[in-house]
Amino acid sequence: MKSKLRNLKNLSLQGKISSIYILTNILVFVVNVLLIMGINRMSNEMEMVYRDNLQLNELAQALDEVQNSMTDYLNAKTSDSLEDYYRSEQDYQNLINNLTDEVTGISYDRMKRNIKHMSEQYLEITDQTIEAKRGRNVEKYSVRYENATQLYDYINTYIYSLNNEQFISNSENYNELAQTFRMFETIGIGVMFVVIIFNVYIIIKMVETLISPLKALSKSADEVANGNFNIKVLDVQSEDEIGVVTRAFNQMVVSIRLYIERIRRSMEVERAMKENELKMEAHLKDAQLKYLQAQINPHFLFNTLNAGAQLAMLEGADRTYEYVQNMAEFFRYNVKKGDEIVSIREEIELVDNYIYILNVRFSGDIHYEKKIDKSLLQIQMPSMILQPIVENCVNHGIREMAGEGKIYLSVYRLDDMACISIRDNGIGMSQETIEKVLSGTYREEELTGDSNGIGMDNVIGRLKLFTESEDVMSIISEGTDKGTEVIIYLQMREREEDDV
Amino acid sequence: MKEKKLKKKTYMWYLIMTILLIVITLTVGVSVFSYYINHFTKEQDVNQYDKYYVMIAGDDSSLWQSVYEGAYDAGLQENSYVDLLDGVFDKSYSKEDLMRIAIASEVDGIIVVADESDEMTELINEAVEKGIPVVTLYGDNTHSARCSFVGIGSYDLGREYGRQVLEIVDNTTIQAEAEAAEEPIEETTAAEPVKVMVLVNANAMDSAQNILCSGIQDTIEREKPEGMQFEMSLVPIDDENAFSVEESIRDIFREGELPDIIICLNELNTTCVYQAVVDYNKVGQVNILGYYDSDTIIKAIDRNVIYATISIDTKQMGKFCVEALTEYNTYGNTSQYFTADIALINKRNVALYMEGDEEDEE
Repeated sequence: MKSKLRNLKNLSLQGKISSIYILTNILVFVVNVLLIMGINRMSNEMEMVYRDNLQLNELAQALDEVQNSMTDYLNAKTSDSLEDYYRSEQDYQNLINNLTDEVTGISYDRMKRNIKHMSEQYLEITDQTIEAKRGRNVEKYSVRYENATQLYDYINTYIYSLNNEQFISNSENYNELAQTFRMFETIGIGVMFVVIIFNVYIIIKMVETLISPLKALSKSADEVANGNFNIKVLDVQSEDEIGVVTRAFNQMVVSIRLYIERIRRSMEVERAMKENELKMEAHLKDAQLKYLQAQINPHFLFNTLNAGAQLAMLEGADRTYEYVQNMAEFFRYNVKKGDEIVSIREEIELVDNYIYILNVRFSGDIHYEKKIDKSLLQIQMPSMILQPIVENCVNHGIREMAGEGKIYLSVYRLDDMACISIRDNGIGMSQETIEKVLSGTYREEELTGDSNGIGMDNVIGRLKLFTESEDVMSIISEGTDKGTEVIIYLQMREREEDDV
Repeated sequence: MKEKKLKKKTYMWYLIMTILLIVITLTVGVSVFSYYINHFTKEQDVNQYDKYYVMIAGDDSSLWQSVYEGAYDAGLQENSYVDLLDGVFDKSYSKEDLMRIAIASEVDGIIVVADESDEMTELINEAVEKGIPVVTLYGDNTHSARCSFVGIGSYDLGREYGRQVLEIVDNTTIQAEAEAAEEPIEETTAAEPVKVMVLVNANAMDSAQNILCSGIQDTIEREKPEGMQFEMSLVPIDDENAFSVEESIRDIFREGELPDIIICLNELNTTCVYQAVVDYNKVGQVNILGYYDSDTIIKAIDRNVIYATISIDTKQMGKFCVEALTEYNTYGNTSQYFTADIALINKRNVALYMEGDEEDEE
């Protein structure tokens, strides 16, 4: 039963609708068959009413034929009439054999029984009459003929009486039957009516169950159409087309939700990246602006320096040539790499140039030492980071102290970080100042002639944007006159991957 | 989820209930219908009976109907069916014709209201020859081979009539004396003999009738008051043709010489005489002694038109007939005579019978 129910549930929509129609039609069919059977039975019953009369009429006719053919034979003694007699006698015999021989409470039965017995006697006498006629026993056959005729008369009367009586009672029966028929009509219509009501109920209920998941589906679809993806997952009640559609719809809603989430996330990332880029650009622009403010025209400067270098070479002033060449390199870098990602190597070269220029300017005041892990030189970083830091070291650390200023530049690996350390032996920094510098709230005084105009806050900001991390720099100073160390941390892996 | 399952379950339940209801409706419809049809077809008694007897009375007056009922009831107890052959046919047949029909029908027994005619004797003998026992009822055929006769004690009946005649005479004499005391001039008339007329069946000059008449005569002779003269006449009534009885009786009234007392020996005669007395305005002049207790006769007694009537225990008569036939069929012989009880009904006890009738009607 359960598996059958499941089978029923798994029927296709077409199958379900068809089965509803088939079921209801079968019910109506059954009712109709019953009605027809009833009508059939009634009409049989009605036929029965007059069938007995018809039988009796047949009997009377056959009896007439026997009597007539016998009389004919007695009259003319033709072989035709004899043949007629035997045939009609046989017919009559067959008919009376069908009559009942039982004595019952039904008067017709008793009358039929009497007719049967009388007819048998009658046929016996007619046979004897015919025999006597053949034997030309005139006296015998005329007596027997009279006897036969008398019996014939009795039987005839009997049959007619029976016929009459049956007709009267049959008419009564007919009335009763007609009443029953009307009753049957009422019952039939009543049953039909009730069954149709039930049928309608079944159809309504079944269609309702068929349609209800569809309704739920359309409601959900409507909500989804209105933009609400947070709907409850629909219950799959059946395995028909609606079930399939419902399941697909569920899947679709879940997928859409997932996609939306993914798109949202990627958009967020993109937005963050764009913001980053914009910030970076803004900082760079800021730096460039400041640079341009400070240096009137780097190209012009660079070209004039180059001309100066050539002049020095022509004059054979090698040191001047080198100095001017370094100056030219320095400014070219500024012009060329102002907005680019560069390698550590290039940044260090810039610092080398800068220190050389300074040393020429300040006649070898600054002792510059490098300790570099060469494997890290290809790591990329934003441009114009190291030079401003060195500039700060010189301007704030070394210049204000007495004695030889020293600057140590080292590049080394720390775990998965590449660290660039710039250390001086200058006057050092207070912790307060360090914090101010790192948080970007430190305001520098007016740019000096020795600065290229890029402040620490700009450096830190660009580093943060580039590494997408907050810990990009640390400043260590152990106190006044104990020097300052600035360490830059660069994520190594990402850059390496990019290199590959 | 659980709720949904529950809902689904109740829904299935409703569906099954609906289909069940449809099936129940159909079943109820079919059974109601078949009840009607079966009720319609099974009304008849289809019981089978071992023996089939017929009764031939000659007419279907209430007397014979009553006897037939007795026989029918007795027959049912023996699982035999008794048919009253009179009235079956649309044509009116004589007793002899009916006898022939019964013989040809090869019934198991015949109860016939016989007479002493030769034709009847022949027919009874023919039936017996063919193995059909015949019981004569009320009227005997003494010369035939009938197995038994069921009747009433004719002599006793005659004596009863005789006694009633004397009672009437007694009553009228007292009246006459009372009248005579007032009018002594007419005293001579008292010597006139009392005329008693007995209406006898012209065709059935059987012994029973004779015995009955002698019973009347004997009783009157023996018990009449001294000096009283009785003149008894037997008037044959022709019952050969239909309506002849009524005509014969009217003839008596038309011819003038009316008796003081008319004794009728069958139901029809009684009814006819009663009607004639009323029609000819002779109530009080002619006293009627009737026969049988039909409604009409009982009413007439109540109205003082008929003085008294004899009631026969018809049921008992019928029962005797069937008993005789059963006995004969079982043992090969039976008692030759059966006598049914008779009772007198007159003004004094008529109320009893009227009540009885009313009860019957109910």
